[in-house]
Amino acid sequence: MGRHSREEAAKNKYINTGFENADFGETKRKSLKFDIVLFLCVIFLSAFGVLIIYSATRYSLPSVDPMFYFKKQLIFLSVSFAIFIGLLTFDYRKLKRIWIIIYFINIAGLISVLFFGYEVNSNKAWIDLKFTSIQPSEFSKIFMVICLAAVFSKWRVEKKSFVGFKKVILSVLVAFSTILLILIEPDFGQAIIYFLVYTGILFISGANFLYFLGVTGITAGGVFAGIKLGLIKQYQLDRLLVFLKPNVRPEGVGYNLFQSKLAIGSGKIFGKGLFLGTQTNLNYVPEHHTDFIFSVIGEELGFAGAFVVLILLGLIVWRCFYVSRHASDNFGSLLAGGIGFIILSQMTINIGMTIGLMPIIGIPLPFLSYGGSNLLAIFMGIALVENVYMRRETRKDYEIAYEDYK
Amino acid sequence: MNISTNKRIIFIGYLVIAIVVVLILKLYFLQVMSGEVYAEAATQNITRTRSTAAPRGNIYDRNGKLLIESVPTVGVAVDPYIVLKREDILSTLSSKLGLSYYDLKAKLEKTKTTYIDRVIIKQDIDKETLVYLKENSQSLPGVEIVNIFLRKYNYGYLASHVLGYTGEIDEAKLKQEKNKAGYEGGDQIGLTGVEEQYEGILKGIKGKIVYEVDPLGRPTNIVEQTDYIPGNNIYLTIDIELQKYVEETLATQLEAIRQKKVGKTDINFNAGGGSVVVLDAKTGEVLAMASYPTYDPSVFIGGISTANWAQLNDPARKFPLNNRAIMSFPPGSVFKIVPAYAGLSEGVINKSSVIFDAGTWYGLGTDYPKFCWNKSGHGGLNILGGIQNSCDVFFYEVSLRLYLKNKNSEELLQKYAKLLGFGAKTGIDLPSEDPGLIPDKAWKKEWFKNDKANSIWFPGDTVNMGIGQGDLLVSPLQLAYAYMTLANRGKQYVPHVLKEIKNESGANVADLSQSKFNDLELNQEYVNIIESGFNLVTRQGTGASAFRTFPLDKIPVAGKTGTAEFWGHQDYAWFASYAPISNPQYVVAVMLEEAGGGGANAAPIAEKIYEYLYHIESQQQVKPVDNFGD
Repeated sequence: MGRHSREEAAKNKYINTGFENADFGETKRKSLKFDIVLFLCVIFLSAFGVLIIYSATRYSLPSVDPMFYFKKQLIFLSVSFAIFIGLLTFDYRKLKRIWIIIYFINIAGLISVLFFGYEVNSNKAWIDLKFTSIQPSEFSKIFMVICLAAVFSKWRVEKKSFVGFKKVILSVLVAFSTILLILIEPDFGQAIIYFLVYTGILFISGANFLYFLGVTGITAGGVFAGIKLGLIKQYQLDRLLVFLKPNVRPEGVGYNLFQSKLAIGSGKIFGKGLFLGTQTNLNYVPEHHTDFIFSVIGEELGFAGAFVVLILLGLIVWRCFYVSRHASDNFGSLLAGGIGFIILSQMTINIGMTIGLMPIIGIPLPFLSYGGSNLLAIFMGIALVENVYMRRETRKDYEIAYEDYK
Repeated sequence: MNISTNKRIIFIGYLVIAIVVVLILKLYFLQVMSGEVYAEAATQNITRTRSTAAPRGNIYDRNGKLLIESVPTVGVAVDPYIVLKREDILSTLSSKLGLSYYDLKAKLEKTKTTYIDRVIIKQDIDKETLVYLKENSQSLPGVEIVNIFLRKYNYGYLASHVLGYTGEIDEAKLKQEKNKAGYEGGDQIGLTGVEEQYEGILKGIKGKIVYEVDPLGRPTNIVEQTDYIPGNNIYLTIDIELQKYVEETLATQLEAIRQKKVGKTDINFNAGGGSVVVLDAKTGEVLAMASYPTYDPSVFIGGISTANWAQLNDPARKFPLNNRAIMSFPPGSVFKIVPAYAGLSEGVINKSSVIFDAGTWYGLGTDYPKFCWNKSGHGGLNILGGIQNSCDVFFYEVSLRLYLKNKNSEELLQKYAKLLGFGAKTGIDLPSEDPGLIPDKAWKKEWFKNDKANSIWFPGDTVNMGIGQGDLLVSPLQLAYAYMTLANRGKQYVPHVLKEIKNESGANVADLSQSKFNDLELNQEYVNIIESGFNLVTRQGTGASAFRTFPLDKIPVAGKTGTAEFWGHQDYAWFASYAPISNPQYVVAVMLEEAGGGGANAAPIAEKIYEYLYHIESQQQVKPVDNFGD
């Protein structure tokens, strides 16, 4: 495609060829409708995650069942996979029409957490459904991406998609109403991810770069005011910025980071071997089956294992943006891009925090961390990306051109 | 999709690559370049250091009788990090060990923050519990059986105030001494008495075992092992047989006094507390130190119960934990040793000065009459008669003359009181010694700073102090100390309870046999005069009735009685003494709270003790004698 946009290319093709039959060969080549690279990476990583979770937790509940977390994660994975398949069957473009309904479902879900939720580590983010607990803020991310993609994409009244002031303001309302509810929980870690995902979508929406600068600038000012006004406490800030002080003593706020680096570093090139990690299993690294799962990987499989995991995650993100570029419409493009941003921001912050490059904020590592909500949500996201990919060329080029012309 | 969108997505693609590269570089740095360093540090993470308790040193009396020993036993220790996460373990422990669930949890939560990985939660467990814990060790991670030592008191309550008791080290001490002395949570330390004073000698040095653990925290192999060094044994100057006799005599006498009425009233004496100090007059060694009421230190073994602790601190039980021998009280006439020596030294009286006692004394002016305890007066007395009869008027006059000399600019009475060791700690090797109080101008000004009218030192204050009244406070030990100094003609030996320190194999660690003294260079003539007065006290004076059957010709006893008025209390009875006069061997001081006259009630105790010390067949039951005297 090079430097031409999709619409222009389609138009040119329509004008030049004049009739549809000339496209047969090309259509045939594109008949492989499923992004197998993305799919394989996802399946491999999540299956690997189940194995690592077993390694990390088999001593956690020795009196109950060493396979407790392993079995639960396996069930989560099976359910996620089933839903993944289910989500491929309908056309993602239908979502664009009902985005406002999705938005209100999302808001209702987050509000219900405030009323019916219970706290884990002082974050009121969970709802107990008796057979399992769900964390609406994980699904909420996907819902927000759908809503934002719909807001930024071509509206019916528009002849040609254009992201102007009205769309930006609407997107700000959609994103920040969601982020506000997350902050009330309060889950600052997730709020940061939401914000990064929003600015990412805003960036690729085609909006004027000044809007992007404006939104990030005003948010930065807000955070600064929050610190000044005491809404954000000094100890919270200290905890956030502890990674900037590499020689912090291995107790207090620096404890988690110190132990995590010790675990990963001691893994050396090839690791201590699967199931043979001592630091993580001896409870030195906290939350080692959820937020610090990467420490287990680093310790037990060494640089080699961590390298492979990073490459696979990178590949997944790359495929998301690849799909974004090749989507049939800009709704699909922004949808796939948004999912890509979710994975990118979470993997960067999560892995970054375990090795001292990022502040320690409690967010899971996609595909690998233990937890049903986070796994199911990310599978739903990947299903949407695959959905966009599968429907990238369902219409003939002239149809695209015609639609644009209309 | 427009051009800018496409470009921006491509830009994001590069960003993804950049992020992955940065993360990989950082991982490369961590794992490949510094991997060895981290691996080294991590091995410290998988080793555990366990200390092994050292037996606390034994405590013997001067004749080698074993008073307190360390007995090995087993206790339960837990790792708060592991156990706090497991409610099932907490509840098992609380039910099996009979501890309150919430107390246990609170205790562990407190220690958790200090990064201690082992806390002893129970000192002494029975066999059944031990077997249970051992059999279920697999389902009780973080719970350990530890070998520890507990105190065993072979003589029960005897000398408990001198010996003191041990208890669990508290949070504050743990923090402050953790690194320097190697204490851990749950350790026993001396909290009072000799146990506290010689903590450093008794505690020994813990052993250490360093071992590696598997991922479940189970020990795999021992890396390093150091044996413990037992604490040193302490030999006290106390003679436990004498101590037993003294304590029993004190208790019996107080019980007898409680049956008596105060004067002609219908009220019984309270006689709720008392103390006796017996010193070796030649060395300052404490042969016996009794304080009544007493307590059984074994209630502290394995942690004292709340009920027991409340009982020991109940005012109705007169605070049995207090060592009254080193607490201070108003002394009364036993303090007359000070004006006697001061008066002679300063020349305000001499050997033959006669002062007339008509029962009432107007030395402070006719508006301020003062009375002798003997309302009819003693007539004309020299210093010997003054001491023998404990004549208040005689010492009013002496004190007033001391006050008037140089307009009290030197505070002569206070000066001599301090010279003889009052108003300061004697320096005995026991914690919490009370220095007592010698009131003077400066003290009064400070004490009554909000009551200006009262803040001036009046001549009456000196006069009152001359008979041991006013704000003056003296401890039984200080009294014994002063009389011992007089007996030794001015040589001051510091009272002490530690005789020897021996290590496990019996070798002397510290030689303490050489008693150092400080020579006050007292005037020998004046000392002789005062001693003659004290001699008369037991022969025909205020203490005579108690010594009526005592062979004073063979063993002359120098003594002085005291009956202190204490506002809001019944009179305090005192007796200070030493014997034999020519070659002093023993000093005996007695103090009885709210027990009436010193001659009637305190002196008999001293007499009984001298009978015991000189193996004299007892001629009289220990009971209060009936004559009334100061």
